Amino acid sequence: MIYYSPINGDALVKLVEYSPRSCFIMTKLGKPIPPIITEIRKALSVKLNERSIKEIDASSEVTGRDFLLKIWKQILSVPPGICIIDETMNAQTMANVFYEIGVLQSYGKETLIIKTKKTKIPSDFVRTEYISFDQHFDSSLDKYFNFFFSLEEYFIQMSEQLENNPLLSIDYLKRAYLISGDEDYKKKVKELSNALDLAARAKNSVENLITRF
Amino acid sequence: MATAKKGIVQVKNPKTGKYVKIDRNAGKIVAHKKSSGKYKGVPVARKRNK
Repeated sequence: MIYYSPINGDALVKLVEYSPRSCFIMTKLGKPIPPIITEIRKALSVKLNERSIKEIDASSEVTGRDFLLKIWKQILSVPPGICIIDETMNAQTMANVFYEIGVLQSYGKETLIIKTKKTKIPSDFVRTEYISFDQHFDSSLDKYFNFFFSLEEYFIQMSEQLENNPLLSIDYLKRAYLISGDEDYKKKVKELSNALDLAARAKNSVENLITRF
Repeated sequence: MATAKKGIVQVKNPKTGKYVKIDRNAGKIVAHKKSSGKYKGVPVARKRNK
């Protein structure tokens, strides 16, 4: 996939570092944080730990460079994004959260909205998976993660069936790798890319960037 | 009974719960089933050997 920078509109010609078995959290990070958001995040953290999924959010690393670029690269590096929203969050924070969900979805990442009961979701996101923070929260989250991990098998099947379209096949393998972190998928990508005879291409050519991770 | 076209298989997409038809020879997704159930006469791709 060719990634176009949101900063300058040009294609990214550097390798995106992948963070398999991680999750990008979108919610209010700056103080004051509504107590309900803190409560939901704690409950979510328990579930993520159970599944050995690492949490990443916009405050996870300090780059000293452009904040939007940092978030964008974090989004590219993860398999899913999960947002936590509550009706008390201000419009600016909500806009940031839904912008980030849109970016995740446009790059084929899985997304989940966790919301409090009274929080309304914008109409463009009605097809986006959501769960409410209520007495069924734990079981709903378990169901979601069961679905999420089932995608690994699907991506591998798609990759195998699409081997005559090597770059697409590789892209499915990369998505499977992000879910499980299984290093065998890197070997498979290497096999597929060897058949493409990319040695004469520039190291940072689109094809070579797609085949490395 | 419909005859299976060579190289065409189907895979179930867990996100939609519906089947996706793939042309293995052309290396492309050719259709997404709108209704539930499988495409008739199209083999389901086997799951990988782990």
